[in-house]
Amino acid sequence: MLLVIAWKNIWRNKVRSLIVMVSVMMGLWAGAFILAYVFGMINQRLEDAIGSEISHLQLHHPEFDIDYDPQFYLDDSYSLIEEIGANPMVEAVSGRVLVYGMVASASSSTGGKLIGVNPDKENHVTQLGSNVVEGEYLLPTDKNKIIVGKKLADKLKLKIRSKIVLTFQDVNGDIVAGAFRVKGIFRSYNSTIEEGNLYVNHADLSTLLKTNGQVHEIAVLMYNGEMVKEYVSSLTQQYPGALVESWKELSPELGLMIDSLDQYMVIFFVIILLALSFGIVNTMLMTVLERVKEIGMLMAIGMNKIRLFGMIFWETIFMVLIAAPLGLLLAYVTIYWLSIYGLDLSAIYQEGYAAYGFKPIIYPKLEAIYYYRIMTLVIITAIMASIYPAITALRLDPVKAIRKI
Amino acid sequence: MYLKLAWRNIWRNKRRTFITMASIVFAVLLAILLNSVKEGVLIKMQENVVSFYTGAVQLHKAGYWDEKTLDNSMTYSDSLVAQVVNHPDVDAAIGRLESYALAASEKYTKVCMVVGIEPENETLVTSLDEKIVAGDYILSDDKGVLVSEGLAEYLKLTVGDTLVIIGQGYHGVSAAGKFPIRGLIRFASPQLNRTMVYLPMTLAQQLFGAPDRITALVLNVDDVSDADRIERELSSEVGAHYEVMGWKVLLPELNQVLEGERAENVIFLFVLYMLIAFGIFGTVIMMTIERQYEFGVLVAIGMRNLKLSGVVVMENIMISVMGAILGTLISIPVVGYFYKFPIRISGDLQKAYENFGFEPIFYFSIAPKIFYSQTVVIFCVALVLSLYPLLKITRLKPVNAMRT
Repeated sequence: MLLVIAWKNIWRNKVRSLIVMVSVMMGLWAGAFILAYVFGMINQRLEDAIGSEISHLQLHHPEFDIDYDPQFYLDDSYSLIEEIGANPMVEAVSGRVLVYGMVASASSSTGGKLIGVNPDKENHVTQLGSNVVEGEYLLPTDKNKIIVGKKLADKLKLKIRSKIVLTFQDVNGDIVAGAFRVKGIFRSYNSTIEEGNLYVNHADLSTLLKTNGQVHEIAVLMYNGEMVKEYVSSLTQQYPGALVESWKELSPELGLMIDSLDQYMVIFFVIILLALSFGIVNTMLMTVLERVKEIGMLMAIGMNKIRLFGMIFWETIFMVLIAAPLGLLLAYVTIYWLSIYGLDLSAIYQEGYAAYGFKPIIYPKLEAIYYYRIMTLVIITAIMASIYPAITALRLDPVKAIRKI
Repeated sequence: MYLKLAWRNIWRNKRRTFITMASIVFAVLLAILLNSVKEGVLIKMQENVVSFYTGAVQLHKAGYWDEKTLDNSMTYSDSLVAQVVNHPDVDAAIGRLESYALAASEKYTKVCMVVGIEPENETLVTSLDEKIVAGDYILSDDKGVLVSEGLAEYLKLTVGDTLVIIGQGYHGVSAAGKFPIRGLIRFASPQLNRTMVYLPMTLAQQLFGAPDRITALVLNVDDVSDADRIERELSSEVGAHYEVMGWKVLLPELNQVLEGERAENVIFLFVLYMLIAFGIFGTVIMMTIERQYEFGVLVAIGMRNLKLSGVVVMENIMISVMGAILGTLISIPVVGYFYKFPIRISGDLQKAYENFGFEPIFYFSIAPKIFYSQTVVIFCVALVLSLYPLLKITRLKPVNAMRT
């Protein structure tokens, strides 16, 4: 009986009910959207960093990381690369010879990280080839050709076909030098890479360094980012002679950024829920006050306080139950649409991005479980928010209430 | 007359006024809080990174930044320093002589960044003395050097050992010297930690054959956020012979990160504004519906629709102004509390922050800009939303209105 009255009450004043329902819908939509947005943001940064820089995991000689001494290469690295590449979880593997040295052009010189790669494999792991904006990417047959970043090229005043000289220590500690010609210029989302990294063919650098064709670093890209932890531990067991590290260990900055985003988001979320509950309390309070006469009448003809409370409470529940699925649907549609077309932030902050030539597009994304969680959270918030107005209604004095216009 | 009517109307139904006002108060409070934490975190990050090495503003000889060689150094003149320090927002200007060179021990060699500093003044900008992990800080007449921890590890050197520096000096003279290591310094940034060597200024000038020359004047400013303005003002003052650069030019990556964060935050703000706007809109609609009868009576007894809506708009402005002011007043102690007792981060994130030399704290900003900009935004939202009753009233038919 009470339920029927509550249900009918909702539709007696459609505008009023609609306001409450839209409030709840908006709250749900906002919550889901913000969450999806943050996940999209994290994803974007991870993809940038993992897909074009650090990969999911890397193997080094345990002592290589300490001082990048080229004598600490991975033993038997060819079969290592083959074995890892054969694993069905692995999407791509690239072995690299690394050395830090001096880079000198005709006009000036600077320090740099020289990387000897197999061009095809490296391209699979870091998409280096598609980041080349001038000239061409390396071919496996190229001799003494080099790919440099745009920033480095500007710094050293390099053009395509410019000659540069690389000087570094080989595995025996002797100083060696090699002359290379610039074949391509790449850009990177990370300016440190663009300013510091130089890529050559594996064979060229390996010969100069005298590493016998062995590599210092093996970068592995996996199909599924969630399997990284398990694969790292299984590789560690399998190859005790190598240090296997996941992207979180390789780039603590990235971990920091993502963790701090997480925490930061909690604060945002609390503020948004507060805004939502306050919106609902206000509207509900207004609706109760508006119905003073009606409620006074009900009390005068004998409706007791518990029933009255129940009636208002059920009204809220009904409205929330109608609004919640609609809000979810709205959120789902928005997120789905944006997950395909993306949210282009360069429109908001043109200057910040334009200088770097990258379009920061975020693709919001939300897993099903979070929709349920947000729905629960918002429904609880809405119901809590209806308690104060309901109590206010109970405090009304029927005689005074009826007199009110 | 209408003003008086509006004022009286507000207080005729106190409860309704308070609810509407409260929705604005709360909106202002939340918007200020959100912006305060957002700006606080970003500004702190900016200060942290700037104090790693570069400082907020630097002055070089024109062209030095594009071609960082000693040949582009400048004379360390007192008149230049006086001119720069004369700027009201600049506290001090400290000289640096920087150049890349090779650092070597008996067995190992590595590229390093050699920096000649004024040890006593350097601490103003970078708190270099607090970064000492072994040995002692250097004095200006010292003959020894400070080496970053990572570099020392690579070279297998420690305090008391001798470091050899080989490089090219001013106008191509060869620069080589042996220096005892006085202390080791640790930088949070791995890149700095692997490359830095600090010498007292006179020693560095001797080494590079560049007496009385420096490559950069690092300015210590009161507020890092003013860097842009200081850069502009000083640029025109010192003339074309010098270049003045703020941290946005010196550290483009940092600027990129901060701008990115700001852009991403815009979406959060947008969502919050939408929620807030709808909260206020709900109360406005309810108010309009509730007062249909009253409006109907007024129009029926001869009040012109236009005048009535004027009164209602005035009411709304009054309520919005009061709400906005009250919200700002309430937000001052709330934000003040968080400013004084910022949110401490715990757990894994705390460790991660500390590893980077950041304090594990979410700071809140109390920049006045946040208070008034947010108040103005919410006030405008409230005003736009009050157009709804205006529309309703101009279309009001007294007979229908009184029947509801």
